[in-house]
Amino acid sequence: MSKWCKRSALSLAMAMLPWSLSTAADIDGMRLLNADKEPGNWMTYHSSYKSWHYSALDQINTGNVANLREAWSHVASRSVRGLQSYPLAADGVLYYSGSYNQVWALDGATGEVLWQYKQKLNEDLVARQTHSPYNRGIALGYGNIYMGTLDGKLVAIDMKTGKLNWETKLVDSEKLTVGFTGAPLLVKDKVIIGAQGGEWPSRGPIFGVDAKTGKQVWRFFTAGGEENNGDARNTWLNDSWKTGGGGGWMPGGYDAETNSVWWGTANPAPLFDWSGPDYKTKGARPGDNLYTTSVLLLDPDTGKLKSFHQELPHDAWDFDSATGEFIMLEKDGKKYTVHPSKSGFVWVYDRNAKVQNVWRLVKNINFVKDIKANGDLVGRRDGTEGKQAEPLCPYIAGGMSWNMGSYNPKTGMMYKVGNEWCMTLDIKKTTPILEPAAQLNIGADFQIVNPPGDKARGHVSARDPVTGKMAWEINFPEPPLASLLSTGGNLLFVPDARGWLHAYDATTGKELWSHNDGQGHNGGIITYTAKGKQYIAVATGWGGLAGDDYAGFFGGPFPQMPKDSGVLKVFALP
Amino acid sequence: MTRSRFVPGLLLLLGTIATAQTEKPGPMQSGTHTQSDTSKPADAAPVSNADAGQFDVPKLFATTCGWCHLDGGRVIGKGPQLMGTTKTDAEIKSRIRNGKPGQMPAFGPMFNDDQLNAIVAYIRGLK
Repeated sequence: MSKWCKRSALSLAMAMLPWSLSTAADIDGMRLLNADKEPGNWMTYHSSYKSWHYSALDQINTGNVANLREAWSHVASRSVRGLQSYPLAADGVLYYSGSYNQVWALDGATGEVLWQYKQKLNEDLVARQTHSPYNRGIALGYGNIYMGTLDGKLVAIDMKTGKLNWETKLVDSEKLTVGFTGAPLLVKDKVIIGAQGGEWPSRGPIFGVDAKTGKQVWRFFTAGGEENNGDARNTWLNDSWKTGGGGGWMPGGYDAETNSVWWGTANPAPLFDWSGPDYKTKGARPGDNLYTTSVLLLDPDTGKLKSFHQELPHDAWDFDSATGEFIMLEKDGKKYTVHPSKSGFVWVYDRNAKVQNVWRLVKNINFVKDIKANGDLVGRRDGTEGKQAEPLCPYIAGGMSWNMGSYNPKTGMMYKVGNEWCMTLDIKKTTPILEPAAQLNIGADFQIVNPPGDKARGHVSARDPVTGKMAWEINFPEPPLASLLSTGGNLLFVPDARGWLHAYDATTGKELWSHNDGQGHNGGIITYTAKGKQYIAVATGWGGLAGDDYAGFFGGPFPQMPKDSGVLKVFALP
Repeated sequence: MTRSRFVPGLLLLLGTIATAQTEKPGPMQSGTHTQSDTSKPADAAPVSNADAGQFDVPKLFATTCGWCHLDGGRVIGKGPQLMGTTKTDAEIKSRIRNGKPGQMPAFGPMFNDDQLNAIVAYIRGLK
């Protein structure tokens, strides 16, 4: 047993006792490894390293969910672009982050504010950003709350007092314009976080930081790798890796058996290329563009690349692999990692990132004709300069977005939001803008449109995670942009775009309860216990980038929906 | 014939030299950074470079503005439709310079007055 694990064994033993005896300061890598043994807590973004977004709690179940009602709520101040974060719950206390890097600690039973934290930000910089000023979540551990800031720092806030313990500058955001919006992941004694990147002409690093001291321990460049990495650099002709984009802006997963962190990387820049079919030698960034739009296996201690699979070589459509949970499950004696991607396809890997299957969750896809079970792309669309004759599907917001799905071990099904929408595309040659500061590098004019012969919409489907076989599907007039939750009470919770929180029978898909939360959902949802009672906590508050299109394209309630309002709503049985 | 083969080669050489000179700790590393610590691609010609002669506004939209102002600003998207806007020239320029929190970034000193005028002219000319 490793040193860190031995030290943590006592903490773990304490954590296994009745919850009132364990303290927040005991959260460490070992306790997180066994997170699913504590269904009353939600101590990490994905609920556990297996990324199921599931809790075994069943106090609220199909038999009584019809009685669910709002218990309390907390208004998040200055919620510009809504509330996009995942709350966490540990030992009866709820923690969550909001826009402008604010954090709140609340009594999990009553909602009373224990403390509030406000980060001192470079607000001139924040004003220059587009993918801003929201924050998608935090990590807990070693008495700290870890958060990435808009201006490129990782901070550690004291869990008990809400005071800043340390902050470490990781990215020169003043020059590169991007910083952090995604949640960090605590693995063993490292905090791992990926920078924004993608359409920004920089190199999208992922960092490993010492969880106690805040010292940067390692860095992995997703665009072009580290110096002397010929394998990666050679996949970017004309030094295009220097402004290659990349990034790893959502938290990944961790497999203790292989000691590997799973992390998805973002698309390259410019988003759209004029190369035509000869993308290996022509265009803005000739080559496969490693390690963009890839799934990486990294050593958490050193950041060394152990294995990877590039889901979309020379991604010419902005279909990040950075979105999507890494669901680790076992089926028929085999271990898998299932990764839904922005493209609309779901990749199924073994635990060494070897592709086992690929299946499509979304109907309207034409950026490729298909992707084979071994991961090979068939009939990819690589355009040349000018208006493209056919709309491209899915739309730039993706066949799936960054909102999480859920895997329920009792039903054996995976639940995921799919988006049906397309876009016109007029590809143009662009030049990266780096002075006085970096700007977006898109590479085209485009517009959202309905899929040919179909209507833009969303759906939540229940699927076999390995084969993709659908059990049932629920349609929504607009794609839900919030994450899903399923529970041991056989419930599936879906917070939709219009503001309704739905509870369905996780086996049959029958709607059992719904409640109008008053504004659209664009963030996380968890369940936890406080003083022995089960609660459901959901972020409400509209205004994310993907939702920005809804007012103009879908109309309905969206033109009047505020984009600067955020409320955490908590539900319980009477 | 010789000249046309030579020039691209020269550019490649210059690019290689530029690469070698900028191959040092870049802005992504922790610690202190200076304005000069950026790696640039060899042939970067910023759109906002005032010496570049013609300021290519359609290219600017395809590079950056089009993220929100769809189809070159002709239709509503993440941002409002620019074609036919009733905003005054001064209001447009102010919005580009100062942005709007949560809706439009502030471009600040990125564009000089001539370039802002060119952007306004482009918007007024949208069909």
